[in-house]
Amino acid sequence: MLRTVAACALLLLIGCKKSEPAVPGATPAAAAARIVGVVTDVGGRGDQSFNDSALRGLEAWAAAQQYQSGSYAPLSPEARTATIPEALRAKVTPLSVKPLVLQSKSPEDYQPNLQLLVDQRADLTVGVGFLLENAVEQVAKANPKSSFLLIDSPILDAQGQPAALPNVRTVVFREEEGSFLAGVLAGFAAKDTVGFVGGMEIPLIKKFEAGFRAGVKTANPKVKVLVGYTGSFDNVAAGKQLAQDQLAKGAEVVFQAAGSDGLGAIQAVKEAKAAGKRVFAIGVDSDQAHLAPDAMLTSMVKRVDLAVYEAAKDLSEGKFTGGDRVMGLKEGGVSLAPVTLDFEGKAAALARVDALQALVAQGKVQVPANLKALETFEPPAP
Amino acid sequence: MKNRLLAIAPSVLAVALAMLLGFVVVALTKGVSEAAGAFASMFAGAFGEPSRVDELGVFAFLRPWGESATKATLLTLTGLSVAVAFRVGLFNIGAQGQLVVGALVAALAGAHLALPAGLHAVVALGLAAVAGGAWASLAAWLKVRRGVHEVISTIMLNWVALRLVEGWLVPGPARAQVEGNNSINGTDQVLPGAELPNLFGESSRLNAGFLLAVGVALALLFFLQRSVRGFEWKVAGLNPHAAKAAGVPLERTVVQAMAVAGACAGLAGAVLVLGTEHRYPGTISAPWGFDGIAMALLGQGHPLGVLASAVWFGALRAGGTRLQLAGIHKSFPELIQGVALVLVAARAAWERLLARAVRRA
Repeated sequence: MLRTVAACALLLLIGCKKSEPAVPGATPAAAAARIVGVVTDVGGRGDQSFNDSALRGLEAWAAAQQYQSGSYAPLSPEARTATIPEALRAKVTPLSVKPLVLQSKSPEDYQPNLQLLVDQRADLTVGVGFLLENAVEQVAKANPKSSFLLIDSPILDAQGQPAALPNVRTVVFREEEGSFLAGVLAGFAAKDTVGFVGGMEIPLIKKFEAGFRAGVKTANPKVKVLVGYTGSFDNVAAGKQLAQDQLAKGAEVVFQAAGSDGLGAIQAVKEAKAAGKRVFAIGVDSDQAHLAPDAMLTSMVKRVDLAVYEAAKDLSEGKFTGGDRVMGLKEGGVSLAPVTLDFEGKAAALARVDALQALVAQGKVQVPANLKALETFEPPAP
Repeated sequence: MKNRLLAIAPSVLAVALAMLLGFVVVALTKGVSEAAGAFASMFAGAFGEPSRVDELGVFAFLRPWGESATKATLLTLTGLSVAVAFRVGLFNIGAQGQLVVGALVAALAGAHLALPAGLHAVVALGLAAVAGGAWASLAAWLKVRRGVHEVISTIMLNWVALRLVEGWLVPGPARAQVEGNNSINGTDQVLPGAELPNLFGESSRLNAGFLLAVGVALALLFFLQRSVRGFEWKVAGLNPHAAKAAGVPLERTVVQAMAVAGACAGLAGAVLVLGTEHRYPGTISAPWGFDGIAMALLGQGHPLGVLASAVWFGALRAGGTRLQLAGIHKSFPELIQGVALVLVAARAAWERLLARAVRRA
């Protein structure tokens, strides 16, 4: 018995030693396509929101591939088109890129994962989320010849001041503008009270809150906004509890910007709806309508997919440059998902949303991006 | 010599068999050549890539070693933490909490003290060790004064530490200050003088923390096997009643051992912060402290055994990152570790097998 085991172990080691040069991603067939690597944050694939949006931009939009149980399969043109919103279909064409995705188990993985993709000869390496800011900064400095894309944060130095790097493109979104429209819609759909469920109480999420409250105020100043933060992005139960609390206090629409906690908030609204209450939820980042088809009013879509796709496109056209970018309503960086549910006064509400969207895109309405600016915000006249 | 080989055989065989099982499972689901390729890339990521020496030079080895060492360092220190407590018969399930406390103290000391470079790192490491030790001593104190079993108290103190640090301090008072509407997760960045220096520059993350972990392992080896106090600990662990009758102060032994155990885990947290992260990240979600239990068991409580298993599994984890590129789940190295642990736990079976093999030989 012992000898058998030892022999097997030995064979295993020998067997491995022989087949040395098997570095995935370095095969000659892939040489023509540009390699675009993505490192997700700890939310990872399947978060129905932020990370999935980035992966969609790379895998479905750019590479026309589908990830299934560990490998890629080609995505049919129809299925690919279905993932792209109508307004972008003409612009988002398939590219010759090869996706290389690493998920992170913990924050300690960000830096080695980014470096590994660089070592796998990725032409562009994407860090999804502000959690990766530090890691992208360090890896970009160590590999000045490689290109990087960082989503949701500029590169910041040790004092927290923006400090751009020549080989890093950063994209931040005007979440307040999309949240503003969500707030307008909520203000029309509700009669009395709406709720906001935030994740961590950080400036990024405050942008959602400020925009949402400004929108509600614009639609109907008499509607009260209940605001709560769960303090995390990975605690579904906390989001559910907070949303249930707000529903009990009379919230008719709950807007969540809370990562996985938000899934709990949507679940709470879904259950309240099933129990016969007239309530709606508003999703975030991706169109989350499928999570609660009867209760989702809309979603504040953050086009992380577009940011990733555009970077991949620039790369394959040889036009990739570093620098800080901001994507708001005007740039198509944020938008509302289609409103499919009916409510009283829907037509008027949608007309108002469209009008305000145009005003914001033209720069005629400045949406507050923090609570201080919200204090002095004056709603535009109807 | 033969006895020593026989003593480590169960662990070595358990790990080898676990690797083999892992290989078989991958081969069955993906095919033999894919499995071989995946394992080859895992070993390349762990030990180096001879095929890329032309392109990367010496960093074809140094970079993978850096990643392996980064992980091995943490596993060694938390493994030693568990092993030291085990020596006096205590189960320290609280290495994770001690690590978290140590990491926070190191991050704060590294960012906010003004000291000359080098000394700054040493002071931050020392404070983290003290903090980890103090946190573990709470459990020892509860045991000595109130008879609370250390398994219960250390597990619970893990949660207290986690809530205190990651639930309140890091997102609250200790959060990094940032300009404008940007967000940063975690505490302020530590000052350059408090960072543990990389041994080979920017391109490999191999840092002084690994030397520290090896040093701690050797120091504990000497202490446990060659000092009077170490002998007292051993006696207290083997038979507390006999130890007490022989005049070993049991209560003092318990408190001291837990303090040393906590200091090791606290150092692990400090090395994580000062060596690679350079701030307390928003969360430390990898269960280094719990992996320390596995390292202590696989290493059979012997400091060098802990070091060896930590180096092996640290390397596997570093290389295991590449398995994702081959479409294998990111937690595969932990799976191998878990299987090895189950196999080594079945120690009696191994010993019987080995005894039979020895008799036959």
